Formats: sequence, structure tokens, C-alpha cells
Amino acid sequence: MNNTKLTVSHAPFWHDGDSLFQMNLNIILALLPAAVYGIIQFGAPALGVMALSTSCAMLWELVVNRVSKQSFTIGDLDAAVIGLLFGMMLPAVTPWWLIVVGTFVAVVIGKSIFGGIGANPFHPALVGMAVLMLSWKMFFDFDTAYVNYIFDFPALTPLAAVKSQGAGVADLFSLSDMIWGRELGGAGTTFGLGLIIGGIYLILRGYIRWELSISFIVGILVTAALFYLSSPDNYAGPLFHLFSGYTLLGAFFLITENSSSPVNRIPMLIYGFLGGFMIILMRNVGAYADGTVLAILLVNLANPLVDNIRPKALGRGINNA
Amino acid sequence: MIKRSFFALSKPGLTCDLLEPDPEAPQKIDVPALLTLLLPEPLDGSRDALIQKGDTVKKGQKLQLYEDSIDYAVSPVSGAIKSIDTFTADDFRGLRTRIAIEKDTQAADGIEYPEMKQEVSFAAGHMNHLPGAPPFGRLARTEVPVNTLIIMVSDTDLLSTTSQYMGTTHAATLQKGVQILKQITKVPKIYLVLPDMLQDRVRFDGLTLLPVDLEYPEALPAMIMKNHLDKILPAGTTPEEMGICFIQAEAVVSLARAFETNAPVFEKCITLIDKTGARHRVEAVIGTPLGQIFSQLGIQINEMDRIVIGGPMQGFATFTLHHPVTPDMDTILVQDRQFITPLSDNNCVNCGKCIQVCPADIPVNLLVRFLQAGQYEAAADKCDLEACIDCGLCAYVCTSHIALSQYIRLGKHELQKLRADV
Repeated sequence: MNNTKLTVSHAPFWHDGDSLFQMNLNIILALLPAAVYGIIQFGAPALGVMALSTSCAMLWELVVNRVSKQSFTIGDLDAAVIGLLFGMMLPAVTPWWLIVVGTFVAVVIGKSIFGGIGANPFHPALVGMAVLMLSWKMFFDFDTAYVNYIFDFPALTPLAAVKSQGAGVADLFSLSDMIWGRELGGAGTTFGLGLIIGGIYLILRGYIRWELSISFIVGILVTAALFYLSSPDNYAGPLFHLFSGYTLLGAFFLITENSSSPVNRIPMLIYGFLGGFMIILMRNVGAYADGTVLAILLVNLANPLVDNIRPKALGRGINNA
Repeated sequence: MIKRSFFALSKPGLTCDLLEPDPEAPQKIDVPALLTLLLPEPLDGSRDALIQKGDTVKKGQKLQLYEDSIDYAVSPVSGAIKSIDTFTADDFRGLRTRIAIEKDTQAADGIEYPEMKQEVSFAAGHMNHLPGAPPFGRLARTEVPVNTLIIMVSDTDLLSTTSQYMGTTHAATLQKGVQILKQITKVPKIYLVLPDMLQDRVRFDGLTLLPVDLEYPEALPAMIMKNHLDKILPAGTTPEEMGICFIQAEAVVSLARAFETNAPVFEKCITLIDKTGARHRVEAVIGTPLGQIFSQLGIQINEMDRIVIGGPMQGFATFTLHHPVTPDMDTILVQDRQFITPLSDNNCVNCGKCIQVCPADIPVNLLVRFLQAGQYEAAADKCDLEACIDCGLCAYVCTSHIALSQYIRLGKHELQKLRADV
């Protein structure tokens, strides 16, 4: 008994058992319905894109760990989440080299050089997407990407069609088609219902903050409704915007990225709303068909600023009587 | 250990334990042959201490290092001082002195204790060691007079039921103690804090009750002040600086017993939670090494297990089985090595769970970044380091397993040093 060595550490001595691994595993789980649907819809190429993207992202993380002589962090699955999200946003027929380059940008430039997990000011997957979209624009035209596919629904990307042919085309795409994934889009972003189920799962499990998702959706709906009411002929309706493009992925998986979003309640509401507002602004006024990627990167910038609105800490600024 | 619930949209919902309906009397621990008393004051090499190795002491004798020492201990047994040395104490407590006393089994049970006086200076001079650690030292100081005394029949940390047990099963003695307290301290306002679910089980006549919820951390001093007294504790100050003094139910009971018998009290009631989570209530003489309690209860302590003194949220882990029972030791928690969750050096990922649970509304996610960079003054100025009430909830929920409470404790400690240097 005399020399028993005991473990000594600081309070608290309990933990709720949560971990980064658990959190990221749950995010991957929540992404699976939409990803699996994408594989069913677009076949093996979609599986290839998502698998290559996930594994590449993890490999890049491993390389960075090795080069910077740090402990390996792929075990926390953060790189896997970035890779999977990145793969899901790409067209199912993306060439392999584009994925390798894109995941490099996402993981190395988007995350690692800022100091790794938790230190990135922007969503890493979006940084990768933005660089690819600006550099190799032709690979992101979904209409030409899927030219060899035969679909039993209008083989047009809803947002691009509306952009080029006017709001009248929006009627081609019924709401139920878009919810059930009968539209063109990224390898894993078409199945609206799957994304919603995944998002609600994450909200209930407490892995994403509901304030961000809800205010983002409200931002989309309100802004799109204002445009639609001002001129129904020129602008598509709010529900069309909500279920098309990357919007739902943005609402539950992109705007909610921990490191680049605020944590206080009022800032979260402002931030989410701002994200939704910016996307509709870009779609309706800007040059891009789907502004989600750039709009969210833009509001990422506003995060440190809005997060300054926070409650006063207990006893701050009170002088002792 | 309470794990995260599957659906975790709301707060973690940690609740303090409620005293069982028919509490059993505590199991008595034998008085060991060798006891250790702790003094917060280190030995000064340049002076001769009043007590030396080999001195004989009597039960009830006051032991202090120097004539001008404020801190003292009272020997619970008659015997001889076997050793006296200074060591670095756990948990930022600095240097302390430990006095080992070998019990003399032959000695007559003579008690050396002065005549009881109903004066606060007498209490401060002779009764600080009572089980429950009454704050007589503070009550005796008059620069900022104490105007509110709060008797805690609630336990502040999880798992413990010591205060509830002492307060409810000894309610009559407690009330006598309150009368004595009133007379010696002349404090105008005395409140009694107890869990709201205990209200029907015990009656306290003539005392203002403050019923608190069992939800953690409602029974912490800063929360009681905020929710019941409408007083916000200014960041970086203690309730005592505001003239509000918290006193454990056990201290009040011990006070009444000491006056009743005209003799000091040494038996400390402790809630002990073993490795299986089972609760034991024991009564041990102050100075008993923890190892003695474990061997008497048949609790096996293995290498790398963790012994926590105080509750799971605010306690501290001791490095030795020889750590003695102290007057303020309400809870002992024993954790098996396989249930100890590892900490990590991950970065903060900004998941926001700490913000959600913090009762003091501190921007913990920003604070930890300043603390990790060692910028303690910036942490205090910009991120409310000093507003922290040390509840430990942020580290409990931290997804990254960052030792948040430790960073905060270290930050406060370093800040004090920085300010002392200026």
C-alpha cells in the first residue's frame, strides 16, 4: 500500500464521453443517406468520386502530419468528413486528378496551414471547391457532365437552367422531384430528404447547432420570397431555392462547420440568416448559378465579427460594494 | 459516470444526489496509530518552530508553528510528534506543513482544552479545526464585517450527501449551533440552504430557508447569491469579500457539540464512493490516512487508480494514500484506472458546448486560446477569466477533451502572481 502510484489530474474527474471521433463519425453517418442515394442514382462513378475524395483527404492529412512531424490526427475523422463532403459536392464524373488537387487544397491549404482542426477560418471543403470552380470551371457544369446518362426526369441542373433561361423553367422541376433527388447536381447533394433527415439527426444529437441551420433556412426563404414577390416572372420561388443546388447541404453541413461559425446564440442567428441572404443574392443578382460555396465562404469571414455579440459574463463590470 | 444522453440538444442535466430516505449512521473508522495533520503554512528554516519532532502532545492541544502563526491544528490524540516537514501540496495550494503524530496508547485520555467562551475571537483561536471547517477566521475579521451567514445543508458537488446528512439527521443540534453562532458572531442575516426536495423531511424553526434545485451547479455559492440573494458576485472576488460567509452544516453541528461537551470534536463525516459507484458513509477522526479507511472498508486500491478528494467536478486528485482526513473533506471518490478518461492536447474545435453549459456566460472557446498561449492578462481582460466559478462543466462536456478547468485554474494562479509582482 505504501508505494501505490496513483493517477493525478485536475478536476473534473468525469467526462460525458463525447469525442471528436464520435462527433465526426456521426456527421459521416448523417451524410450517408444522401451519399448512398447518389451512388444509386449516378452509379459506380459517384462511389468512386466519394471514396477517392475521402481517402485522398485523409492521405493528405497524413502527409501533412508526417511532414510537420506532428502526431497523426486522421483518427479524429475530421479529414474524412472534409473529404466526403467535398466528394459529394463534385459531379459524379469528376476526373481523379481534380479530386487529388481539390482535396489537397481543402485539407492542406484550407485547414492544416491554419493550424489544423479548429483553427480554420473557412470551411476547408468549400475552400477546395472554390479553388476548383474558379480554376476548372468546365468540370462543374452539371448539364454537360451527365451528358452520357439517361434520366427519367428533366436532365437539367435546376439553378443553372433558371439562370440561363429565366424563372419560368423552375416549373419544370416539381418540388417532390427535388426532395426525392430527381434532379441533377453533385454526386451526393441531390437527395433533399436524405440531407434533411441527416441534418435533423445531427441537431437532435447535439452535434450541430440548430440556430445556424434554422436561421440559414429562414434567410433563404425570406430573401427568396422577397425577390419572388417583387417580380414572380424574373425570380424563382423560395421553396425552389431551398431544395435546389447545394442549399440543403449548406444548411446542415456547410454553414454549421464548427470552426468557422459563431457559438453564441444571437450571433448564430445573424450568421445563419446572413448566409441564406447572401446565397439568394448571388443566385438572383450575381453571376453564379449556385452561390452556396462562395456565399458561405463570405459569411465565414464575418464570423469573428458577429461572434463578438455575447452575453455579459457573471459579475463583469460590477464593482465590489 | 454520467454519460452524454443519446439526444443531447439540451444541457447535460447533471443533478446532485439526494439524501436517501432513511440514512444509515456512518461506519466508524478506528483511530489509527499514526495520524497526520496539515497546516497551510510552510516551515521557516531560519526560525525555531514551537513544535519539534519528539515533542509529546495531548489530545486537544493546539499546535502552531510560530508565535505569530494564524493557522493551527488541534491534536486529536495524545502521543508524540513523529515527524514534521514541509511539502508541496496538491492543486495549487503551495507549500504546506504536515505533522505526523504517533498515538500513545498508554496515555490517559486527558484533554487539554480551554474553557469555552461565547466569543468570536475564541472560536477563531480554538475552533477552526472543527469538522466542516467553520470560517471563524473570516468571521473574526472586522474590516469588512460579515452581514450574511449562509448555512449549507446542500452539497455543492455531485455524489456527496455529507452536508444533507449532517443537516437533516442532526437538525436539532444544528439549531443549537445556529443559536451559538448568532450569539458569538452577531451576524444579522442567517439563511439556510437546502435541496428543495428535502424541505418536507426536516423542519428548521425560525430560520429563513433557501430551497435550491438539485441541478448542478445551483448550490455553488455564486449561483446561490445570484438566484436567491439577488447579488451578483463581482468577477475575481469571493463571497467573503462581500461580507457573505458560507458555512457547512457539519461545522454548525460540530460547534454545538463542542459547546455541549466542552471538548473539541474530531470525527469527520465523509461520503465515500467506491469503484463500483456504491456510496459509503464513514466517520473518521481528522488526521486518519485515507489508506486506513480503504482497508477497513475492503476497498482495494491498485496502481494508477485515482483517488479524488471532493466531488467529481470540483475536487482534486491526491497522489498518496497517506493523505489525511481534513476538516473540509466531505467526499472521497475512488476511480478505477480503466474508467479514467484521458485528456488530450487537441485544439478547441469551437463546437460551442462549453458556451451552452457555462453558468457564468464566459466565452470559454476564446478564453482557452488565450490561456493556451499563456496570455493570462488578456484572458482576464477580454475573456472574463476571473468570472469563472470553477464548476467544471466546460471540461466535462468538452468534445476535444481539453483540460479546460486546469487551464483556468492555472490562469487564475498565474494572474495572481503577475498582479502580486506589479
